[in-house]
Amino acid sequence: MKSNGKWWAIAAVVVVALAVLVPMMNQEKPAEPSQVAVEEPAPVVEEAPVDVADEEAVPAIANSKDTFVFVSIGGGPDSLDGAYSYDSSSGAIIYQIYDNLIQYDGESTENFLPMLATKVPSVENGLLSADGKTYTFPIRKGVKFHNGNDLTPEDVEYSFERLMLADPDGGPCWMFIEPLLGTMTIKDYAMQVAGVDSWEAVDAASLKKVVDDVRASITVDGDNVVFHLKNPYPPFLAILAKNSSWGAIMDKEWMIANGAWDGGDDWTKWHNKAKEEMVAYDKANGTGPFKLASWDKNNVQVILERFDDYWREPAKLKTAYVKYIDEYNTRKLMLEKGEADAVYVDPQYLEQVAQIPGVVTLTKPETANRVALFNETIPVQGNPDVGSGKLDGNGIPSDFFADVNVRKAFAYSMDYEALIDEVLAGLGKRIVGPLPASVPFMNPDNPVYDFDLKKAEEEFKKAFDGQLWEKGFKMTISYNSGNEVRKTAAEIIEANIESISPKFQIDVRPVEWATYLDNLRSGYTTMFFMGWIADFPDAHNFVQPYMQSSGAFAGYMGQHFIDRAKEKYDAIVDKGIKSIDPKVRKEAYDELQRLAYEDVTAIWLYEALQPFAMRDWVKGFSKNPICPAEYDFYKVWNE
Amino acid sequence: MLQYILRRLMLLPLVIVGVTLLIFGMMQMLSPYQLLGLYVKSPDELRNQNMDALVEKYHLNDPVQVKYANWMSNLAKGDLGWSESANMPVLQALLARFPATIELALFSVIPVILGGIFLGAVSAVYHNRPLDQGIRIFAIVGWSLPDFVFGLIVLMIFYGVLGWFPPGRLGTEAEMIVMSDSFTQYTGMNVLDSILNWNWPVFWDAIRHMIGPMITLAYLWWAFILRITRSSMLDVINKDYVRTALAKGVPDRIVTRKHVLRNAMIPVTTVAGQMILGLLGGVVIVETVFNYKGIGSLAATAAQQLDYPMVLGTTMFYAFLLVMINLIVDVLYATIDPRVRLE
Repeated sequence: MKSNGKWWAIAAVVVVALAVLVPMMNQEKPAEPSQVAVEEPAPVVEEAPVDVADEEAVPAIANSKDTFVFVSIGGGPDSLDGAYSYDSSSGAIIYQIYDNLIQYDGESTENFLPMLATKVPSVENGLLSADGKTYTFPIRKGVKFHNGNDLTPEDVEYSFERLMLADPDGGPCWMFIEPLLGTMTIKDYAMQVAGVDSWEAVDAASLKKVVDDVRASITVDGDNVVFHLKNPYPPFLAILAKNSSWGAIMDKEWMIANGAWDGGDDWTKWHNKAKEEMVAYDKANGTGPFKLASWDKNNVQVILERFDDYWREPAKLKTAYVKYIDEYNTRKLMLEKGEADAVYVDPQYLEQVAQIPGVVTLTKPETANRVALFNETIPVQGNPDVGSGKLDGNGIPSDFFADVNVRKAFAYSMDYEALIDEVLAGLGKRIVGPLPASVPFMNPDNPVYDFDLKKAEEEFKKAFDGQLWEKGFKMTISYNSGNEVRKTAAEIIEANIESISPKFQIDVRPVEWATYLDNLRSGYTTMFFMGWIADFPDAHNFVQPYMQSSGAFAGYMGQHFIDRAKEKYDAIVDKGIKSIDPKVRKEAYDELQRLAYEDVTAIWLYEALQPFAMRDWVKGFSKNPICPAEYDFYKVWNE
Repeated sequence: MLQYILRRLMLLPLVIVGVTLLIFGMMQMLSPYQLLGLYVKSPDELRNQNMDALVEKYHLNDPVQVKYANWMSNLAKGDLGWSESANMPVLQALLARFPATIELALFSVIPVILGGIFLGAVSAVYHNRPLDQGIRIFAIVGWSLPDFVFGLIVLMIFYGVLGWFPPGRLGTEAEMIVMSDSFTQYTGMNVLDSILNWNWPVFWDAIRHMIGPMITLAYLWWAFILRITRSSMLDVINKDYVRTALAKGVPDRIVTRKHVLRNAMIPVTTVAGQMILGLLGGVVIVETVFNYKGIGSLAATAAQQLDYPMVLGTTMFYAFLLVMINLIVDVLYATIDPRVRLE
């Protein structure tokens, strides 16, 4: 083929010009040609906002004022049933659909206001007995459920009784079972009643007694619902208050019609059901300000519609969308164009998003902390994360993290400073143990492990009597997809540990939120990143999940951990909650914090301010530190 | 012609058995535990249970031929297992996402293939002249650009700056209409559904959301089809019968269209078939960048999250598509070139 040199030259100039001009038009540096470019933030818009957008009228992508679009990350909620879900992603949706008996006063975590109950029980108004064991809630009249049914005291009674009997493994129901029945699970209670050691051995008469006791623990008295506690339980009101998905009030008639517990004696049929088989898994009928219009799993979004017969003033918004998009660039662009009113932004990008005109960013405190936990008994069969499942250099054995030296080595391998300064953009601070700083009894002098690869190497050499160092290992750490902080934290550990020895290999993989939780519940992860947002603001609510043998995370942490917790921690946890003497409590919590360091029950990472990014037309925003929902669609509106 | 099609159809079951054998063979590299996801009815079965008992229950330790028969009977029932990344049965997820992919594929075929053929034809006609050089360079630049880079550039310009073509499949307002009771979702393809519902706002919104991916795909793939068309046409242009036609005074345009282009179409058809297949199998990166929920993003998420049942499901799906499209391509050959039928 003949070719004409002159034309080639001209064409080459055109191409070069195009390559320069196209990115310039966009005021963008061309993205790095690597696979990572998709994941990383768009090469920063450093200069002033693009002129074109200001001069020309931008076609109206922005939604009408009465629709609110919040774009979050992850694959959507886990379950909309308050008896099952125990995560903030689900709680954030349940929060909009259901109301509770009482609510927090604005951003306070101590003062309550009435909600579906017309009064908050207190000793002064006589609705809380002097011994702290009987709470009476007068139920509001004229409240309607989304399907038009009226709220009755029987609905309230039914909501909590069904929840206690359903009690799925690893769920939130312990928070009612413990104060009302005195055990941590309904199975424990049944075994206690029957006087046997295994659930299978419980006889029919005892099962009947269990359901009778549950029905007796909450009673209807005229227009009132009365809770009869086994022991005084100081945080009981906080457990009931709105923010808690487990305190959601449901419609008895609707639940039974859809196949939930019928109120009868044969309750085991509805006990510990699979997630998808629970009635309120993906349908909802609450008294809250929004109806569930659709949980659209194909397009990964939840659509909520205003409930016009709401017992208070109906919400200002007509429709609220929660979309879940892991791609940061897409979220950012949607916020920039006004297609989203608010988006989730990882702390490291907050400053970048703040540069967009018309976007407001702010941070709010959260009664929460973030940690990395170890699974000390990992099932190895069919587990993709443990390689060969043996200590042979190609995997890790089931009891890999049961060795305290391994846990120590991992704790020394975390670069805490880099994580907080760079990944969290300085929005966080280190925690020294299970308690966040805002919770009483946190001991600021508790020792911590600092980033030190020399010491990490020493610990690895001691682990498994030196065999680990000799043979090496291979494992995978999973994190919930879209969470850049956890991804980076895992990658920091990966890079540091792999630099210690060429025989150490760590992979990092993302997993959908609901699957992540499923894996945790079945104890399948190796080590995992978790956060704990307070159910109620008390030290007990932080040592319980992290250290008690029947705590919320214990099941995720494996049998070795549970055995150790039973032996060493449980008695001290008990001592802490059972006493009202601050001195005794301080002693107990100091001891637990010391043990948390000594036994490395977790890599204690940080507590952080929660970042928010929204359009400046969003009004009415407020955020309670323990509320699972980033945006309360009842309170916000677009102006 | 009918006989030819029937003959090809008779071969189809054999091809499919071959495909399933191949996939089944690859599956044997996974441990029985990893394959459990293919057999359980809900994810709950996978947890809180003795894995060995499950392996026993689903005959995963049985001889290969028994396993194959079991698997085939599951396939015949449409049971492809449970997907953890989509949180629903594999088949359900595939069926839910497929309309979006078909829609994008159908709309992209026009600019990608017809545009490519047109540019190729122009190139050939203006052989080695400036227009030819310009078109070829333009197309080669597109071919050389990585898709995630060009996709992001398109998104930044047409959405970020101009605000014309947003990501996703529908805007919020249109989505609300589609979700409402007054709108019937016949096919799951928004454009078609909006016509059937006689709803023009949704129609335009759906089109608007597809233009970004279409531009990206078209520009990225033009070079491929353009070069085939061009070289194949150049080949034909030098044939005797073209010279004869020109010599006896047939107008240039007619020679190009009837004598040259049509004869040059055979290799192009093969490539176009592959391209349609590529589009129907999902375009992973483009779907991710534009947040377009189709088969491609489904497969990508599944692979990233080690969701074996879904990876196998999409592989099966892709294999069946391949077989079907090859059949269609063969039939098209026969239409274009009568000699093929007589073989």
